[in-house]
Amino acid sequence: MTALDERPRTPRRGPTGALGGRITGQELVLIGVIAGLWLVLGLATDTFFQAGTLGNLAYVVAPIALVGIGMTVVIASGGIDVSVGSAVTVVTVIVAKLVRDQGASFAVALLVAVGAGALLGLTNGLLISLGRVHAIIITFGTLNLFRFIALRIFDSEQVAGVPGTLAFLGGGGAGRTWNVPHAFLLMLLLAAITWWFMRNTPSGRHYYAMGGDRAAARLAGVNVRRQEILAYVLTGVLVGLASTVIIGGGGLIGQNVGVGMELQVIAAVVIGGTSIMGGRGTVLGTVLGALLVGTVSSGVTILHWPSQLTSLFVGVFILVAVGTDVLRERARRRA
Amino acid sequence: MSTTRTGQAPGRAGSVPARLLRALVTQRLVLLVVLLAGLIVVMKLLENGGYLLAPYSSDYLAAALIDAVPLGLLALAELVVIVSGRGGIDLSVGSMVSLTGMTFGFAVGQWGWPLLPAALLALLAGGLLGAVNGFFVAALGFPPLITTLATYYAYSSLALVSNGSAPISTPRIQELTWLTQPVELPLFGRYVPDFPMGLFLFALPVIVLLWLNVTRGTYGRQLYAIGTNDTAGRYAGVPVAWVRFRAYLVSGLICGLVAIVNVSQFASARPDAGTAGNGMALPAITIAVLGGVAITGGIGRVVGVVVATVLVVWLNAGILLSFEGSEGSQYQLLALGGVLVFAAVLNGFATRRYGGTS
Repeated sequence: MTALDERPRTPRRGPTGALGGRITGQELVLIGVIAGLWLVLGLATDTFFQAGTLGNLAYVVAPIALVGIGMTVVIASGGIDVSVGSAVTVVTVIVAKLVRDQGASFAVALLVAVGAGALLGLTNGLLISLGRVHAIIITFGTLNLFRFIALRIFDSEQVAGVPGTLAFLGGGGAGRTWNVPHAFLLMLLLAAITWWFMRNTPSGRHYYAMGGDRAAARLAGVNVRRQEILAYVLTGVLVGLASTVIIGGGGLIGQNVGVGMELQVIAAVVIGGTSIMGGRGTVLGTVLGALLVGTVSSGVTILHWPSQLTSLFVGVFILVAVGTDVLRERARRRA
Repeated sequence: MSTTRTGQAPGRAGSVPARLLRALVTQRLVLLVVLLAGLIVVMKLLENGGYLLAPYSSDYLAAALIDAVPLGLLALAELVVIVSGRGGIDLSVGSMVSLTGMTFGFAVGQWGWPLLPAALLALLAGGLLGAVNGFFVAALGFPPLITTLATYYAYSSLALVSNGSAPISTPRIQELTWLTQPVELPLFGRYVPDFPMGLFLFALPVIVLLWLNVTRGTYGRQLYAIGTNDTAGRYAGVPVAWVRFRAYLVSGLICGLVAIVNVSQFASARPDAGTAGNGMALPAITIAVLGGVAITGGIGRVVGVVVATVLVVWLNAGILLSFEGSEGSQYQLLALGGVLVFAAVLNGFATRRYGGTS
């Protein structure tokens, strides 16, 4: 139902009409808020607009936004995946050990990361789809299971001395061209592809249909199960890529890598305007949401405020984002 | 609803094994009790075979129950919130424990308040935090998952900032450990193991009060009504928003209690008490679901959650005896995740095979 409201090329009233409906209201607001924050931070400090600061910001945002792309598809289709943090831990430790102990090349490491991520995503997808259990329950379970697997592979030690095989995607000098992290560019490319896919292909539209009304989508001929499993596999693949970004230049990989990341990712997705009830949401919004969270975190650091304040701001931003979503939904129903 | 056995056609008697299997699959309480009995038998066999690091004795099990107090109380908080329906869930319980724990810590440790007023302050703080959740969810209609994710962030941040990320552990706080330490029961205490004080001070009163309220009181009926069907509840004259608001309020109050338990258990008010690692919310939700609470709302029993808590705590206690070093805590993750997925998939199967579970 709600999915129809975002049908491509449907003329819409309001501030989005001028852009042919390509950008939603939430995204415009986010762009405005981010621009405002950057302006304030630029005026209040003399370090924010230095290329290094922005480059770091882009690198920190990249893994959150990468996983967020998949999470957007999952949430828009009516599901959720709270196991991504643990999945990142698993893939990171596997690939880090592979690179250090087996001397795997960049291509092999990348392939293994994507493959392992996809496998974890497939596990979630199969359990949810075949077990016909609510996604949040299954992924709460696999959150624990994946963490167990990761800790077994860690074998009670951190992974120290990881070589820089994946430095091309890392945050260091080798991972940047003109101070733009390659990881950020990769994220933008994948986000653009997914954005186009969700807007313009039947399969993409089916995700919104499933999120709006799963039973109706199935009756309308959507292969609900296949679509659902693929959404979790996609998220798994992106988890794999995010893990290679996190390993990046190598060094020390601690056992708490990835812990709590699922909440950051979900926060970015929700701030980006995706409805947690499903049926609505765009990848562009998620990227902006991740950028906003990254900006807040970076700003708090630059202003020398206690870093724990970041969470307070993230919480407030989530509430504001959901508030506007709830209000807009009410206005739409009244119209 | 929670107490009726759905899908049983009257007068249709199957064979005894078939009926037993059906009870095992469709009634969560039966399954949990069987699992609990199986666990104890297996651990006793392992003990007799000499595979354990220490005996799996009744003293050990009684002492382990101190872990059941915070875990079980939070799982009961999740029960109330999840049963209230419309995607009800409370991700912020861990942060609420941290923040109210710091409040309690300030009151006792730095302002020198006596125990009782400080405990009341902790409850008040918990109630206030829960009321914020309830206001957004019930009055404004925000989705619970996201609202409590936002307050999870906000509360945990406030807890950390309140004392510059440092714990409060003054002598006055360290004196409070008697609240949770094992005690010998009066009269027949010599014949049974020493149970932790926290069990009687915190867990039992909450369990009894909640059970009475949910199964015997008007509030419980209204809660299950709106959890099953919002609209039907409204037409039946239930003040939907008010009932749902109180569910989140109860969750906050319970967090206040858990904070007191936590502070006395560790002799220190830690700003990350409820959020360190995977936090307290995930295990609490896991146990609630394992105890038979349907994530869709309207279904769930206090008894089921209590038995599930005991099962998980004794399973964890058994795992700790079975592995050396940090391996035990790792296998606890496997057990928690495995049991949850198993129970959830079984639930899905039972719904299809028998048309309903209770």
